[in-house]
Amino acid sequence: MVEPLLVVSGLAARIGRVPILAGVDLAVPARGIVALLGRNGVGKTTTLRTIMGVVEATAGSIRFADQDITRLQAHLRPGLGIGYVPQGRGIFPLLTVRENLYLGLRGPADPAIETHVFERFPRLAERLDQKAGTMSGGEQQMLAIARALMMRPRLLILDEPTEGVMPRLVNDIRREIAAIAASGIAVLLVEQNLRTALRLARHVVIMERGHTAFAGPPESLRADPDLAHRLLGVGAPT
Amino acid sequence: MSVTAINRTLTAVLLAVLVAAPWVLPMFEAEFWLAITAEMLIWGLFAASANLLFGHVGLLSFGQALYFGFGMYGVAIGVDRFGLGFWPALGLGIAAAVAMAAVAGVFAVRLTWHYFAIITVVFSLIFYFLALRLKPLTGGDDGLSFAPPPVARFGDVTLSLGDETVQYLVILAFAVAAFAFQARLYASPLGRAFAAVRESERKAALLGIDVLKVRWIAFVIAGGLAGLAGALFAFYGRYASATYMYYVVSGEAVIWTIVGGTGTLLGPGIGAALLTLVREELSTVWEHYLLVVGAVVILTVVFAPRGIAGAWNAALARLPGVRS
Repeated sequence: MVEPLLVVSGLAARIGRVPILAGVDLAVPARGIVALLGRNGVGKTTTLRTIMGVVEATAGSIRFADQDITRLQAHLRPGLGIGYVPQGRGIFPLLTVRENLYLGLRGPADPAIETHVFERFPRLAERLDQKAGTMSGGEQQMLAIARALMMRPRLLILDEPTEGVMPRLVNDIRREIAAIAASGIAVLLVEQNLRTALRLARHVVIMERGHTAFAGPPESLRADPDLAHRLLGVGAPT
Repeated sequence: MSVTAINRTLTAVLLAVLVAAPWVLPMFEAEFWLAITAEMLIWGLFAASANLLFGHVGLLSFGQALYFGFGMYGVAIGVDRFGLGFWPALGLGIAAAVAMAAVAGVFAVRLTWHYFAIITVVFSLIFYFLALRLKPLTGGDDGLSFAPPPVARFGDVTLSLGDETVQYLVILAFAVAAFAFQARLYASPLGRAFAAVRESERKAALLGIDVLKVRWIAFVIAGGLAGLAGALFAFYGRYASATYMYYVVSGEAVIWTIVGGTGTLLGPGIGAALLTLVREELSTVWEHYLLVVGAVVILTVVFAPRGIAGAWNAALARLPGVRS
């Protein structure tokens, strides 16, 4: 069996003195989308931030590409091939689109990747010299995803990419996420919209009060409406 | 036409005016301004060092005078005590400043905001008092005077700093080279990392940027720029003094930067030139001219937070047919 690209085992973390995570287990295969779901405040964002090294893990382990990265400094993780699009996008509003796009690169951009990114997000190519903060929420989200792609990630972590985005652009972003996954990049997706998550994901992980309460294919969730209702507060869409 | 294109054209015009100054000023019997312009260039370079840290990395330093002083003393000690020529002495001044910044930076870049500002002042004060105490090496209160060695010899022709035109052109050449270097730096991946760290350390780290390393590199480069300014000022004044290592001198660089425009390329030079001009024109007629400087700073902060260069860019962008 092929080792998953990202394996999180028994992960625990606290913010200040408050324990937020206590036993998160999840695995992301090298291809496809894994959706991380749960009610507000169960620790989804903290899980992603701990994977990225922004929050320190107090127990458990994080392995990426067969390497233990639990104690690795945050700034060294993107270089391994982990792209992260945080909640709220994490763009630099006072810098131009161009500056934002190339921020994570240590040298000149790979022309092939550059072309690929601009084909995927043509709006960005038209707005290269515009201040990122002056773009719409959806365009900023596209910029955040494009910036992560410029760094040629093997795994892309997306934290609520459609939050605060105008409905017209939500479908565009979902389509792009599916296309990114289809191009061979593994995706770990936190998404509030259950219907979207279940449609895109190959595998679903549900968190409850800081730990993993369910992990399995979306079909299992659809087959057990009570489970979805108990863990998410809503019924699984058919 | 874009703001950038207009500014590039104006920069080329300004450069042409600066190059022509030694031959144009005598036509108006204004040779005196050649020395003042040379001083403006040096102070502009010094302000650029504060701007690199504050405007590009977000670190407010009140200690750049320390590296300016190391540049000065490197040259003065090199010439006076070791008998070095122009270039080795200049190199010694810059190397001393860079080495000092590399050591101080290890401690300073771990801090931010007022803590960073305080530690830079503390380093500056330590070496200011040390320079006063180490009289055999630094000349103490009296400072160190020296006769500048020739810049170069071509057969029978000697380029000497005693010739005011040569001195001015040497200073201009270094200032232009230093500003060209900064332009390249800010457009490079390292320059982009500076901007990312300035905007948000956390976001920068999530993009794989080693925040402490980037800050340290910026600190060392800024030290080098201040050291170059100090070295040139030592040649300009034939003198090195601990007075120039005092934190008040560092504060002036911050003021020039704020007035000229933080985070802009030529803003610090503009601020330094303007306030040197105010000093030259007003100090002879009114001893409290610093009140005017203070008023200029307050007005700038209130009405043009991005300084003269920022206000200029904003005004250009409002013109019809000009895009930002």
